[in-house]
Amino acid sequence: MRLDPQPGERLDRSRAVVFSFRGKPVHAFAGDTIGSALYASGQRIFSRSFKYHRPRGLVCCSGSCPNCMMNVDGTPNVRVCAEPVRAGAVVEPQNVLGSLERDLLSVVDKVGRPFTPVGFYYRTMIRPRRLWPLYEKFLRNVAGLGRIDKHRGRTTRYDTEHRAVDVLVIGGGRSGLRAAREASAGGGRVMLVDENARTFADEPFEIVAPGRALGIFEGGLVPVDAGKLLLRVRAPRIVVATGAVEQPLVFPGNDLVGVMLPDGARRLVRDFAVKPGERAVVLGADDRALSVADDLRAAGVDVIATVDLRERDPEAVAAEGKGGLLRAVSIDGVRHACDLLVASGAPQPAYSLLAQAGGKISYDAARGSFVPSELPAGIEAVGRVAGELGSVAPVRACHGEGGFVCICEDVAVKDLKRALAEGFDSIELAKRYTTVTMGPCQGRLCHLSSIRIFAREQGTDEAAIGTTTARPPWAPVKLGLLAGRPHEPAKRTSLHFRHEEAGADVIWTGAWRRPHSYGDAPAEARNVHATVGVIDVSTLGKLLVTGPDAVAFLERLYPNRYGDLKPGRVRYGVLSTDAGRIMDDGTVARLTDETFFVTTTSTGADGVLGWFEWWNAVWNMDVEIVNVTGAVSAVNVAGPQARELLGRATTTDISAEGFRYLDARESRVAGVPCLMLRIGFVGELGYELHFPSSYGEYVWDMLLGLGAELGAKPFGLEAQRILRLEKQHIIVGQDTDSESNVLDANMSWIAKLDKDDFVGKWALEHAKERGPRELLVGFEMANGTVPPEGGQVVRAGLPCGRVTSSRWSDQVGKAIGLAWLPPELAAEDTAFEIRVNGRLEGARVRLRPFFDPDGERLKT
Amino acid sequence: MSGLAFISPGAARAENGFEPRTASPLARALEGSRGLRDLSLLGKVEVRGSFLLDGPGFEVLRITPQRALVLCEPARCAELLETYPGLAVDMTCALAGIELEGDTLMRRLTDLDLSRLPAAAKVAGVAAILAASDRGIRIFFAQEYGHSVVEAVRDLQEGLA
Repeated sequence: MRLDPQPGERLDRSRAVVFSFRGKPVHAFAGDTIGSALYASGQRIFSRSFKYHRPRGLVCCSGSCPNCMMNVDGTPNVRVCAEPVRAGAVVEPQNVLGSLERDLLSVVDKVGRPFTPVGFYYRTMIRPRRLWPLYEKFLRNVAGLGRIDKHRGRTTRYDTEHRAVDVLVIGGGRSGLRAAREASAGGGRVMLVDENARTFADEPFEIVAPGRALGIFEGGLVPVDAGKLLLRVRAPRIVVATGAVEQPLVFPGNDLVGVMLPDGARRLVRDFAVKPGERAVVLGADDRALSVADDLRAAGVDVIATVDLRERDPEAVAAEGKGGLLRAVSIDGVRHACDLLVASGAPQPAYSLLAQAGGKISYDAARGSFVPSELPAGIEAVGRVAGELGSVAPVRACHGEGGFVCICEDVAVKDLKRALAEGFDSIELAKRYTTVTMGPCQGRLCHLSSIRIFAREQGTDEAAIGTTTARPPWAPVKLGLLAGRPHEPAKRTSLHFRHEEAGADVIWTGAWRRPHSYGDAPAEARNVHATVGVIDVSTLGKLLVTGPDAVAFLERLYPNRYGDLKPGRVRYGVLSTDAGRIMDDGTVARLTDETFFVTTTSTGADGVLGWFEWWNAVWNMDVEIVNVTGAVSAVNVAGPQARELLGRATTTDISAEGFRYLDARESRVAGVPCLMLRIGFVGELGYELHFPSSYGEYVWDMLLGLGAELGAKPFGLEAQRILRLEKQHIIVGQDTDSESNVLDANMSWIAKLDKDDFVGKWALEHAKERGPRELLVGFEMANGTVPPEGGQVVRAGLPCGRVTSSRWSDQVGKAIGLAWLPPELAAEDTAFEIRVNGRLEGARVRLRPFFDPDGERLKT
Repeated sequence: MSGLAFISPGAARAENGFEPRTASPLARALEGSRGLRDLSLLGKVEVRGSFLLDGPGFEVLRITPQRALVLCEPARCAELLETYPGLAVDMTCALAGIELEGDTLMRRLTDLDLSRLPAAAKVAGVAAILAASDRGIRIFFAQEYGHSVVEAVRDLQEGLA
C-alpha cells in the first residue's frame, strides 16, 4: 500500500513508470526500485530459497540479502530491492517450478529435508558413478538461483577506467561525507564512492554513486563497480566508512515472509512511501533499530510490542506462519498476532574491506561484534565501521531451538551442529562444509550468527572462534564488468593486409596473425617445388648482438661454434637451457667482427631476448642486445626460380658462385636496403630477405609482380609445414618438448662439446654418456594414412613413442612424419606401428630427408 | 662495419626503375578515425650509454638513465647513427606511434600517472613509451601491435561518444 508523500522520499510522483511482472503491468514512480513497486502493489513473496524452495520476502531493502532476486530483462539474480525501475522492464521470478506462491519444488522442503541435510552430496548420489551426469542435471534443475541464457551473447558494453586520487573515501554516510570534506579542505584529489544510487548535494570533491568498492588490494588499489564502468582507483590514503550491517536474529520461523530488518522497513516507509504491514512487533538491540517503531507508527502500522534486547533478551522467540507468510510471533510464550516482525541483534561493522587491506579484526565482547583493532598505514576507519555503534549489547546466539542461520544457502542451526558433530570444528572448515556465509550475502547477515552458534556449541567465546578470511569481491560483480572490453592484442606483420587481400585464411600463432594458406596449401607447396614461392616470415624474432664481447657471448650461449663464423656467413643455431634442453632455434649471421644478426622462432623472440639479457647481466660482458623484430620485415623466396626472381630485383651478384649457400649479404632489393641470407627451411633454393618494415608491402608487391611470369605465388604456413617436413627440419615446440636435447633430436652435430663451456654443456655431456632414452626420427606410412599429430606409437599393445608431425606430401607421394621412438626402434627401415582411429597402421623409419636428401637443390 | 642499413628506411633509393614507397603500419587502422595523429613515420633512434645531445630538431625521451629514444625528422636519423656509432639503432620502423587528446580516453588506456611523463607503461595491454606534447599525449609501441592498439583506442573512443 502506497502512503502519502513522505519527507525526503525518493519518488518523483509526477513521473509514472510501468514495467511488467509475470506478464502483467506494474505501476511505479520514478525513484522506485522494482522491489518497492512490487511491494506497493501487494507482492509479498519475492523468491524461493536456494535449496528448500521456501518462500522468501523482503528483508533488507539494500541489496544485501538474496530474498528478492529476480530475472530482469534476461539478466538473472538481480536484487530488485535495490534495482531502479525502468519503463518496459520485463521482470520474472526465478528458481521456481510453477509460481512464487505455489512452487512445485517446495516438496524438497516438505518431504525431502531428511534426505538433504548439510553435506548430503558428499554421501549420496555417488554410485553408480555412471549416473552422475543425471544426478548433476537433477540437482542443477532443482536447486540454484538464476539461469544464464547461453545464447544471449554480449549485450552490454563495459569499460574500465584508471584513476589516481589522493584520498578515497568508501561510504557516503555522515562519517564518510565528513571525512571527504575534511580531506578536500586540506587540498588534493578526493573521491567518495557510495554503493547506493543516491543524490548528494554539491561537494568540492568527486562522488561516484552508485559505486561499490569491490576490495582493497596491494598498492592502494580499489576496484569500484560503477555500473557499466569499472574504476580502478589507486589512492595512498583510503578512508573506509562502510557503516554497520544489521544482524538478523536466529529463531524458529525467522525466514518467514514478513520478518524484516529495521533498516529494510525504514527504507520502505521513508524512501518509497510504502506501508510494510498492518500489525508489527519490533525487537532491537540498539537505538537505531528500535527507532523504526516510530517510523512504523507514522506510517499507520499498529506496533503492538517493542522489545529492547539490551534490557531483556528473551530465551525463546518463535514465528508462526501460513503459506510462508507471518501470522504471529511468540516471545517467551506470549503470542502476538502480527504480519510484520522487525528484528535485529547488535549491528556488525562492515569490516570486510579493512580485513582485506590487512587490518586486524577483534571481538568486542561488550558490544557483541567484531571491530577493527589495528589498521595498516594508509587505511582508516571512521563511523560505525570503526565501532561507533552507540549503546548496544550482545544478544543470544539463538532465541529458541531451530531457525535459519544462513538464508542464502538454507543452512539451519541444526546443520551447524551437525557439522561440529562430524568433526568440522574450525570456523573455516565448517564454512566450507556447510557453505554458511558463501551465498550472495557473503556473510553480511550470517557470519556473526554462525560464530556465536559455534562458540555456544563449543563452550567458548566468539573471540576464540574468530572470523573467516575476508576476500574480494565485497559485493557481487558482473563478470562482464571485470572482463571489460574484449581487446586481445594481436601482432600483425607489415604485410598482413596483403594476405587478407589475397584471400588468406588467417590464424593465430601465439600472438601473431598469420596466413595458414591462400586456399590450397598442397598446391602452394607444389608451386614452390615447381617454380618459386614467397612467404612472409616477418614474425621471426630478430636480435642484434653487438660489441667487443659479442663472439664470446654467443659462444657461451649456444652449443654451436660461432667463433669461426666469418663476416658475411650465416649458421643455423639451437639454443639450449641450463639443463641442455632445446629452448629455441634460428640463425646467426655475422655482419662484422663484432655485430651479429640473430633470428629466433616467431613465438620465442621475447623469451630469447630475456634469456640473452639475463645472461648478459650475469656475465657482465661488453655486449649490446637490441630487439629489431618489428623494425625489420622478412620474406623468404624459395624454389628453382628463386635466383631468377631475385636477380630481377637486385644488382647484387647472386650467382651460385657470387652468393653461396649460407652467405649473408647487405645490399638493396628494389631500391630498399636489405640483408639477404641464402638459407633454406623448405628445402629448395632460397633467400631470406630482411628489410625495413615500412617497405613491407612495397617489396612484397615488387617480388610478386616481377615473378608473375615465372609463376611466383605466395605460400602460407601450412605449405611451409609440408615442405619443411619433407626435409625433416624440426619445429621447436612441435617436434621437441621440454625434455628434448639436440643429441636425441638427431642434431648431435650442433653440440660442440670440445668448447670450454656453454650453457647446458654439462647436461649434454651427461646425456651423451647416459645414452638416449628416445630418438627423433622420420618415418613414412605404409599405406598413405596420415596419422594424427600426437598419435601413439605402439609396441606389444603399449604406447612407446609419439608422432610429432605428419602430413601427406604430393612431392614424395607418401604420408610422412617425425616421431619420437625408443632407440631400439630408431634404425633405418625399422617397421613399427602407430595407432590411428583405434587401428594399428604400419610405418617405417627413414633417417634421411624424404626430398632431395643430399641437399642438391638447396645448395644449387 | 655494417651500417645496419637494412634497418633504416632512410637508406632506400630510387634506382634502376624502382621507386620505393613506405607505408605506415597504422594506415588502415586509422582510416576514418578522429582525433588521432599518426606518428609512425617519425624518425626514432634508440641511443644507449651516456650521451649529450645538442641542437634543434631532436627530442630526447629518457627511458632509463642509459637508454633514450630520440625523435626527429626521418632524414636526420642518419646523422644520429653517424654521431653515435655502435650506440644508436634506427627504430623508425620498429615503433609505431599515435598522438591523441583527452584525459578520460587516456585513463581508459593506461593506469600510468600522466603527470610524470615521459614514461614506459602498458597501453591497451601493449608495452609503450608515452610522452606529453602540445597537442596531447604521444604513444609509441611495437609496430606489429599497431593495428591492435589503434583498434582498441577507437573502440574506447566509441564508448565515450
